Amino acid sequence: MATGFAAFGTALPALGIAVPLVGACLLLALDQVLPRVAVDALAAVVVLGVAVLMGALVAITASGRVVSWAGGWRPAGGVSVGIVLVADPFGAGLAFLVALLTLAALLYGWQYFSHAEAHLPVLLLLFVAGMTGFALTGDLFDMFVFFELMGAVAYALTGYKIEEPESVQGAFNFGVINSLGAYLCLAGIGLLYARTGQLGLAQLGAALSGHPADLLVLVAFTLVATGWLVKAAAVPFHFWLADAHAVAPTPVCVLFSGVMAPLGVYGVARVYWATLSGTVSAAGVQRALLVLGVLTATVGALMCATQRHLKRLLAYSTIAHIGLFLLGVAALEPAGLAGSALYLAGHAGIKGALFLLVGVLLSRYGCVDEITLYGRGRGSRALGWLYVVAALALAGLPPFGVALGKAISEESLAATWLAVVFTAVSAVTGAATLRAGLRVFFAVGPPPPEHHDEDVTTGEREEREVEPAPARTPPTMLVAILLLLALGLVTGLPAVGSAAGRAAERFTDRAGYLDQVLHGAAAPAVPTPHGAAWTALGAGLGVLSAALAVGLALLVLYAPRLPRTLRVAGARTAPATHALHRLHSGHIGDYAAWLLVGAVALGVLLALPGSAAGATGVTP
Amino acid sequence: MSRGVRTLIFLAGAAGLGMLLVLAFLRCPPFGGDWHPYRDMAVPAALAHVTPNVVSSVNFDQRGLDTLGEETILLGSVLGATVLLRPGRHETRREPQDVGRVLQVTRLGGYVMLPLALTLGLDVVIHGHLTPGGGFQGGVVLATGLHLTYVAGSYPALRRLRPVSWYEYAEALGAGTFSVLGVVGLVTSAALLANFLPLGQFQQLFSSGTVLALSVATGCEVAAGVVVLLAAFLEQTIMIDSSRERAG
Repeated sequence: MATGFAAFGTALPALGIAVPLVGACLLLALDQVLPRVAVDALAAVVVLGVAVLMGALVAITASGRVVSWAGGWRPAGGVSVGIVLVADPFGAGLAFLVALLTLAALLYGWQYFSHAEAHLPVLLLLFVAGMTGFALTGDLFDMFVFFELMGAVAYALTGYKIEEPESVQGAFNFGVINSLGAYLCLAGIGLLYARTGQLGLAQLGAALSGHPADLLVLVAFTLVATGWLVKAAAVPFHFWLADAHAVAPTPVCVLFSGVMAPLGVYGVARVYWATLSGTVSAAGVQRALLVLGVLTATVGALMCATQRHLKRLLAYSTIAHIGLFLLGVAALEPAGLAGSALYLAGHAGIKGALFLLVGVLLSRYGCVDEITLYGRGRGSRALGWLYVVAALALAGLPPFGVALGKAISEESLAATWLAVVFTAVSAVTGAATLRAGLRVFFAVGPPPPEHHDEDVTTGEREEREVEPAPARTPPTMLVAILLLLALGLVTGLPAVGSAAGRAAERFTDRAGYLDQVLHGAAAPAVPTPHGAAWTALGAGLGVLSAALAVGLALLVLYAPRLPRTLRVAGARTAPATHALHRLHSGHIGDYAAWLLVGAVALGVLLALPGSAAGATGVTP
Repeated sequence: MSRGVRTLIFLAGAAGLGMLLVLAFLRCPPFGGDWHPYRDMAVPAALAHVTPNVVSSVNFDQRGLDTLGEETILLGSVLGATVLLRPGRHETRREPQDVGRVLQVTRLGGYVMLPLALTLGLDVVIHGHLTPGGGFQGGVVLATGLHLTYVAGSYPALRRLRPVSWYEYAEALGAGTFSVLGVVGLVTSAALLANFLPLGQFQQLFSSGTVLALSVATGCEVAAGVVVLLAAFLEQTIMIDSSRERAG
C-alpha cells in the first residue's frame, strides 16, 4: 500500500503535463462533433482533474521533493541522458494555481464564446500543459520547450478576437518580443551546454560548482534570465504585456496576469538556486534584481495610475506587482522568497477577480473606458462592492494573501527605503484600481471631463465578448469571481504562510536539491521558518497602504475641487507623464531596441564587481 | 521615439550584446575537440535500446519529454494559425476559380513526383529509428508532397484530396497517441515515456521499442498539422472574399 502511494506520488508531475495534453487532443478530435456544452464540460472536467492531481502533489511535496526521471533514465554517478521532473512545494503550488485559474477562466467563459469552431478550450488545455511543464521540470532545456509552448499558445489566445486590428497588433507585439527573448535564452542554454555537456538544472549546478563564474557563465545566465524576464514583463522587457492584456479575451487575462507572467520570476529564481547560486556572485544577482525590481514597480505603478482603459490599467498594475515579486526574491533568502510566493498566489486571485469584473462591464456596455463608463455600473451594487474589496486587497488590506506576502517581503528587505517603495507601489496601484471602480460603480466625484490625449488609449470601442449582451450577469461568471476572491483570502491564512516559509527553505536548499536529484538522497526535514507569519507591523503596513490607496483615490476623484495651487502643482507633472506614455509607443522596433539594451544592462549589473551594498545602499 | 533615436538605442544595445556574445564564445571549448560528455552517454544508451539512429534515440527515448513538448508546440501553433486565420465576420467564402495555366511539363512532373514524394515521406517516417530521418522530417515530406497536386494541378484538385477536417482528426490522433504512449509507459514502467515495448533485433523494422511508435505518431501529427496549416493560409488567400477590403 505504501509503495503504491509512493508510485502515485511519483507519477503526479508527469500526469500534470500528460493529462491536459490528452484532454486537448480528445477535445480537438471531438469539438466538431460534440455540442458546445459537452465540449465545455469535458474541458472543465479535465482541468478539474488536473487541479485535484496538482493539489495532491502540493500535499505530498510538503514532506519533500518528488523526483521522477522521464523515460526511466535514472542517473548513474550523478549524470543522466534523461530529463528529470522535480516537484517541490513552489513548483507544485504553481501547477495547482495554473489549474485553479484555468478552472475559473472556463467557468467564467461557460458557453460564452460564440465561435465554437475556434478551439478556445483546446488552446487553454495546451496552455495549462505548457505552464505546468515549466513549473515542474528540472531541466533547463525542457524549461525552454515549455516556455515556447506557453508562448505559441498564448500568441493565438491574445489575437483571438480577429475582428479588432488592435488584437492582431497586440498578439504580434507579444509574439515578436517573446520570441526575441526566447532566442537569447536559447543562446544562453547553448553556452552552458557547450561548457558542461549537461542540460539538467542539477547536473549543470554540479558541473559548474567549485569555480567562480567566468564571463561565459555570466553571459549565459544573463541571456537565460533575459528570456524569463521577458515573460515576466520586467522593465524594460515589459512593453508587450499591456498590449497583449488589453486585447486578449478577459478569461485569458486571468491566466496571463495571474500566473503566466509570474512564471518568469519563478524561472529566474529556480535557475539561480538550483544551478548557479554557488557560482555567480550573490551580490551581482541581488543588485540586478533590486534595480530591475524597483524600476519595474515604479514604471508599472506610474503607468497604471495614468490609464483610463481598464484592462490596460490592470495590466500595468500587474507589471508593478511583478516588480515587487522581484524585490522579494532580491533578498536572496527564504523569507523574501516566501513573501513573493504568497504575494504571487494572492495577487493571482485578486487580479483575476478584477479582470473578470471588468469583463462583466465589457459584456454589458461594450466598453472598458473609465471616463465613458462613469456611473454606468450604479445598477449593480453587488459587483461594485466586490470590485472595491478586490481593489483594497490589491492595495494590501489584511487579511488577504497579497497583504501577508507584502508584509513578509517588506520585513525581509534590509533597507527601509525599499519597504517604502513596496508600500507606495501597493498604494498607488490600489488607488488607481479603486478610483476607476468608484467612478464606474458608484459615480464618486464630479463627472470627469472628456478630453482626448493621443498618448492614452481609451477603451471606448471594444468588441463585446458575448453576443448578445446578457441581460444580467450569469451565475457562472459570479461563481468564477467569488472563487478567485476566495483564493485571495485563503492565501492569507497563517497556515499557508508557514507552509510557504517551509517551501522557501526547501527551494533555496541547493545542496539538498542536487543530492536528491542526482544521488537519490532523501530530503532532510526543513527547519521551521521564522518570519513567514503575520506580525503587527506587517498588518499595520498593509492597513496603511490600503488607507493611502483610499486617500489617493479620493484625492484624484475630487481633484477639481482642490485649491488652485495644488492643481497647478499637479499639472506640472504632466510633461513627465507624457514622456513615459510616449515610451510605450506600441512600436515593435522600440520594444526590440529596449530589449537589447535591457539584456546588456542586466549583464553589466550581474558582472560588476563589488557588493550590492555599494550600488543600492542595502546592508548585506 | 523618432526613427533616429530608435536606431541609436538599437545599435547601442546590439553592440553591447554582440560584445557579450563574442566574449562568451571566446571561452567556449575549442572546436573539434574530443571532449563530448553527452555523446559519451547518449551513444551507449541508444545502442542499449537497439536504436542505431542515435538522434532518434535522443529525440524519442532519452529526451522524449522535450519532443512531446515540441510536437505540442507544433500542434498549438497550427491550431493558433487556424484560429487567427479563420474567416472574420466580414469575410465570405467563395468558390475557387480555376484560373491560370499550368505548363504540361509541370503537370507531368508533379504527377510523377506525387507518389514518389509520398513514398519517400513514409519511408523516412517508418525507418527513423534505423536511418537518418524520423517523424518530423518524414511528416514534412509527406505534407509538402501532397501539395504537388496544387502545383501540378489546381486548387480544387488539392481540396478533393484534402478534406481538412480529416487532417485535423489525424493531427489530434498523432499528438494524442504520443501522449497516451507516454502515459502507458508511466503505468507499466513507472516513468513517463518509458520505452516499454520489446526492443527487438538491430536493423529489424520492428525494433527499438517505443522509438518507432513515437516516431510514427509524430509523423502522423506533423504531416497532418502541416497540411492543416497550409490549408489555413491557402483558404485565406484563395477562398476568402474580404468585403471590407472591397468596400475600402
